[in-house]
Amino acid sequence: MQEQTAFQVSGDAARELSAEIAGRSEQPIASCYQCRRCAAGCPVGEATGYLTPDRLIRMVLLGDRKMALNNDLVWRCLSCYTCGTRCPNGIHTSRVTETLKQMAREERLEPLHPKTDSFHRSFVKTSLFWGRMNEVGLMAAYQARVLWSCLKRRDFREMRSEISSQTRFGLSLFRLGRLHPGWTVSRGRRELGRLAAKSGRHSR
Amino acid sequence: MEYAYYPGCTLKQSAFPLDRQSRKVLRALGHGLTEIRDWNCCGATSASKLDDFLEVAMPARNIGIAESAGFEEMLIPCSACYSKTVVAKTRMNRDPRLKQEINSELAHQVRGEIRVSSILEPLFDAARSRELGQRVSRQLSGVVAACYYGCMLTRFPLDVDLRDDAENPGFMEAVLEAAGGTSLDWQEKTFCCGASATVYDRETALDLMGRIFSDALARGANCLVTLCPVCQMNMDAYQEAYCSRLGRSRRLPVLFITELVGLALGLGYKELYLDRHFVDPAPLLREMERQQETEAAS
Repeated sequence: MQEQTAFQVSGDAARELSAEIAGRSEQPIASCYQCRRCAAGCPVGEATGYLTPDRLIRMVLLGDRKMALNNDLVWRCLSCYTCGTRCPNGIHTSRVTETLKQMAREERLEPLHPKTDSFHRSFVKTSLFWGRMNEVGLMAAYQARVLWSCLKRRDFREMRSEISSQTRFGLSLFRLGRLHPGWTVSRGRRELGRLAAKSGRHSR
Repeated sequence: MEYAYYPGCTLKQSAFPLDRQSRKVLRALGHGLTEIRDWNCCGATSASKLDDFLEVAMPARNIGIAESAGFEEMLIPCSACYSKTVVAKTRMNRDPRLKQEINSELAHQVRGEIRVSSILEPLFDAARSRELGQRVSRQLSGVVAACYYGCMLTRFPLDVDLRDDAENPGFMEAVLEAAGGTSLDWQEKTFCCGASATVYDRETALDLMGRIFSDALARGANCLVTLCPVCQMNMDAYQEAYCSRLGRSRRLPVLFITELVGLALGLGYKELYLDRHFVDPAPLLREMERQQETEAAS
């Protein structure tokens, strides 16, 4: 949670960062006039506190790269697209948070919410590998990442709680006959693999 | 009508009831579904967080397969798959270079002409043309539904042709009412349930689900009705968790719209997999039967 209320400002940095983000996210961020309709509707607003979508845009426009790339809103944003649907100037801040996540990854910054990052990486990686998402495979890949990071931090309590909550959830799905035992694969994985290689910037 | 049908990964796994119900309900309404061959994962809500190119490329391959098989319309029950496929098609049509770059790796080229629909569209059309009403063999009396749309059915990160209203959609309500049910006007019908955050940011997700549930309950709903497999799973599987945080003892079954339409069309309890819920819908079904008997007697 950031307590910061003043952004770092520099003219050149501001021009550079706003142009880069406006271009990559394809959002007209310069037309934000802080009406805060986005802030009023943001479902994670209570969790991110001070940092609302309009303030994230402001941060970018003022060129505070360090804060913009790694803050609570970027990592908590659920991409529900409420902010963009309501924005009178057509700015989808959810697209901006997606761009910022990608940039943070490219600059190899340690993500503020590592579990969120692990989930999305595991999802894309496993889905590309099999051509389809296998729920059991995805959760195994995700849990492996999370447990490994717990182990590195020697956080055994978190480890135990992760294992027990996932096991309980898996068992309850099994009891309802909603846990799929088979594996689903698409031959399209080869085409997808070539496309992923082409994009160059994807998850590593 | 003959549709190219894209089930998506979740509908082959934890949300398999939605796949089976969709097929049965559409067949009962006289539509044909052909599952597209060798479809792949659409990337869901994760691909866009990692890579803008993959976000389009993953659903693109499915569009190409459906188009090369000669279909005019693609039907997708899962709201995330539907949304991502619409976004991919729109972005490729807006950016011919992107389309060409993706097509150069695909066995089945994307033209970008196929219509992409959620399953709500044929259901709504059947309700509006009164066809659904005529085929109903069991009125949904006693069902007071809070229709919960979530995010992906009506909100998109770019301009798309949307038939329903983004802020106050009404397709599900129209369908339920045509089948003899009652629907409610409520506040949180398009509020986010947290989606995959139940895995990695559970506290935030539980707060959001609690807010949705509390509003539905306060307005007098006796069930939540949804189409999104993630919303259904979250609101159902985590109901104990978010209700105990709020100190609520009432529970509400969380049903797919296809489940209720299936019941109205005379399909059976087991046939619709109504026994596969965390919160058992049996009391709601008994209430439905009781109301039907009173209506028949009077």
